[in-house]
Amino acid sequence: MPSGLKDRVAILGMGCSKFGERWDVGQEELMVEAYLEALASAGIDPTQIDAAWYSSHYDDIGAGKSGTPMAQALRLPNIGVTRVENFCAGGTEAFRGAVFAVASGSADIALAMGVEKLKDTGFAGLPTASRGTFVPMYLPTHTNPGNFSQLASAYSARHGIARDDLKRAMGHTSAKSHANAVANPKAHLRKDITIEQAMSAPIVAEPLGLFDCCPVSDGAACAIVTTPDIARGLGKTPLVTVKAIQLVTSNGWEMQQGGWDGSYVHTARIAARRAYHEAGVADPRAELSFVELHDCFSITELVTLEDLGFSAEGEAWKDMLDCTYDIDGRLPCQVDGGLKCFGHPVGASGLRMLYECWLQLTGQAGGRQLDAPRLALTHNLGGAPAQNVCSVTIVGTGER
Amino acid sequence: MTGIAAIGTYLPRARLERSSIAEAVGWLAPGLARSASGQRTLAFWDEDSTTMAVAAARDCLSGSAGRDAGDRIASLAFATTTPAFAERQNASVVHGALRLPPDCIAQDVTGTPRGALVTLHMALEAASAALVVAADRPVSRAGSADEMQLADGGAAVLTGAGPGLLAYLGGASLTSPFADRYRRTGSDFATVWEERWVREEGILKLVPDAIARALGRAGVGAGDIDLFVFPGTIRGIGSAVAKKAGLGNARIADTLAARCGDTGTGHALLMLAAAMEEIEPGERILLAQFGQGATALVFEATEAIAERRPAVSAQLDAGIPERHYLKLPVFCGLLPWEKGLRGRGGVNEALSVAHRYNDALLGFVGGRCRETGAVQFPPSRISANPQAPLADTQDPYPLADRLGRIASVTADGLAFSHQPPACYGLVDFDGGGRLMMEFTDPDAQAMRIGDAVRFVFRIKDVDEQNAYLRYFWKAVPASAASRAATDEADRRSA
Repeated sequence: MPSGLKDRVAILGMGCSKFGERWDVGQEELMVEAYLEALASAGIDPTQIDAAWYSSHYDDIGAGKSGTPMAQALRLPNIGVTRVENFCAGGTEAFRGAVFAVASGSADIALAMGVEKLKDTGFAGLPTASRGTFVPMYLPTHTNPGNFSQLASAYSARHGIARDDLKRAMGHTSAKSHANAVANPKAHLRKDITIEQAMSAPIVAEPLGLFDCCPVSDGAACAIVTTPDIARGLGKTPLVTVKAIQLVTSNGWEMQQGGWDGSYVHTARIAARRAYHEAGVADPRAELSFVELHDCFSITELVTLEDLGFSAEGEAWKDMLDCTYDIDGRLPCQVDGGLKCFGHPVGASGLRMLYECWLQLTGQAGGRQLDAPRLALTHNLGGAPAQNVCSVTIVGTGER
Repeated sequence: MTGIAAIGTYLPRARLERSSIAEAVGWLAPGLARSASGQRTLAFWDEDSTTMAVAAARDCLSGSAGRDAGDRIASLAFATTTPAFAERQNASVVHGALRLPPDCIAQDVTGTPRGALVTLHMALEAASAALVVAADRPVSRAGSADEMQLADGGAAVLTGAGPGLLAYLGGASLTSPFADRYRRTGSDFATVWEERWVREEGILKLVPDAIARALGRAGVGAGDIDLFVFPGTIRGIGSAVAKKAGLGNARIADTLAARCGDTGTGHALLMLAAAMEEIEPGERILLAQFGQGATALVFEATEAIAERRPAVSAQLDAGIPERHYLKLPVFCGLLPWEKGLRGRGGVNEALSVAHRYNDALLGFVGGRCRETGAVQFPPSRISANPQAPLADTQDPYPLADRLGRIASVTADGLAFSHQPPACYGLVDFDGGGRLMMEFTDPDAQAMRIGDAVRFVFRIKDVDEQNAYLRYFWKAVPASAASRAATDEADRRSA
């Protein structure tokens, strides 16, 4: 077992653009918005950045499949910029690259950026993406609501949950995130909804209705990481360090073999186990102050609460209805509104989650600031329940 | 001695009520009201002549005669007047889906609905193991008689060296440039001439002549024919031909007009199959069809006919009534409709990739690890079994005739579909392996986790820009009967 990343890399600064339907800007301006905030919060000069990672999923919006769009948008000082894609987990992948660079000693300061400009594609919902040559010859024409509605059907079949009960729990999940986002000026959707509204919304893919689905948003988020020593030298306190980053990729077992019943996300369970080990977390439900999960759909959040060990199997929907995951509950979840309301610019979301962790851990979260949080987790999922990339990242203050 | 060893048919599940056609376009063609009774089959959006030919052939080959013929089928003829591709042999697609031997000669036969009987005649004279499949999905003008009377479906026969179910006694084919209808290459619709002229100068002159020659060659008297099978949309045409040909004792086979319509090239075989549910051993059957000439074939039912009856009545009974007239022009591509951004993209088929995976894509052949027994689709060099990711241990493993069970479902209102919502989910194959598959047919939305499914060959994607059709396999509900048969087979093998 490798010794891991724990406390070897610190977050020096972060930035995040306003998320939403940003008709006013392109992906270049979105990146600049996040970058300038990150640079200011880090208190460094661009020439101090040694290397950069850039995450953007869709290639049909002029972003290009290389590092040049970001190098040019930010006018970086001829450093290496690596573009990464890993479905919706690309933001965490970019962060992982920057962290690895610092941990390896090849960079003192590294930058990670995630961006997605979706609202120039003309699509409501995610655009149809190229799937290559062979796969579309046999896989159904699918969408993410379709893929994740299968998680809902299998989860309710496995645990014998009545449709109305599941719809109510999913409705609570979304209503809670809407309530949280009202206090977040950068969020895409800042409007309270009722559980009943969520339950009676038009169906997108049974049983997922409109309010069970996150919006498609434009946005960018950025992290600047360094060694704990350099961060301390720059006066960063409290110091937020990386405790664990684990990324798990499906190998086809769920999709091609019969052992998986579709009611959970196999990779999430593995990623969580490895991340808790790496971070030295024994009791995640007690030790974590709050969590930012990949709530692309309300059902994803519910199932993930079980996959990460916060709720017992088949119980998350009850815990959700018991307000366990509300902002004043035992384990606040999606404090910033999550994908559901902060928004989901695909390549940026993993970094957006870390942005909220960093704000909260450093006491900068304004009207939604939690009381003295110390340890936070992000869960960033790319792909579909049957075939995906799942990452779990833990960050915190203080040496543990 | 040669004969028909096996016969199979296919009817699409949807049945368009003719009254709904009259309601929609009767104002244009008031005469339609007179023929607005009953139903006609309506191919689903993902069916064409090729997929229906495959379905009929699979039905034909599913019995013991088909299984015995297996690798010895020497030739395949696909007869249709509505070929999906003008270039790219459609029979080669049928051949691939049926996984026929590589040295099986295949040909497309087109130009006349008589094509199936012409080819059958040739196969019987050659006494070879031939598979003749026929299917049509006609495209007709709104408000035309064709739209009411013609229908979608397919049929297939297997000939063999022995007498089979129907022993062949003799036959005749006449060729004539008599054009009752024509459709120039590139034109969407046929032009037809006056029905009375077709009847008097065409059918009633050419068909009795062919019948007389066939009976002469068979050494059978006209009065010895027990059943006359003759498709045609002209009212009473079978009886008129029988009278003219002196078939004094023959029953006239049902044209299936009320519940099905005339399915074109396969219709003589479909009517024959329907009649074969009740034919007695020893009965003599005259099978004939008209079209730029006439073909007449004489058979005698053998004792074997009582052992394997076709299931046309079950297929007729399995219909799902449809009252949305517009599905007809939309499914046929006659009516432009708003597909949205998600429906705009082209398929841009990489033909080289499709060819590399022909066995998987057309034949639905997966892989089975010979060390662990793990089954997967598509096959790959390294096994999908994470406990034993062995390299180069997979044997070809056909999946088309297996059953499966649904492991997850969705009805996706966002994904592009010709019949929203798009229904798909994970399907576990009996014997291992799973695949995310599309569910199809008008009742796809009723499919649930745990339901048994079987697999059908259909159009996967339509590329309007490049005029391409992509085929693959989809899941439909398995009948209780096929489920029970498979469970029984599993018990026996266990």
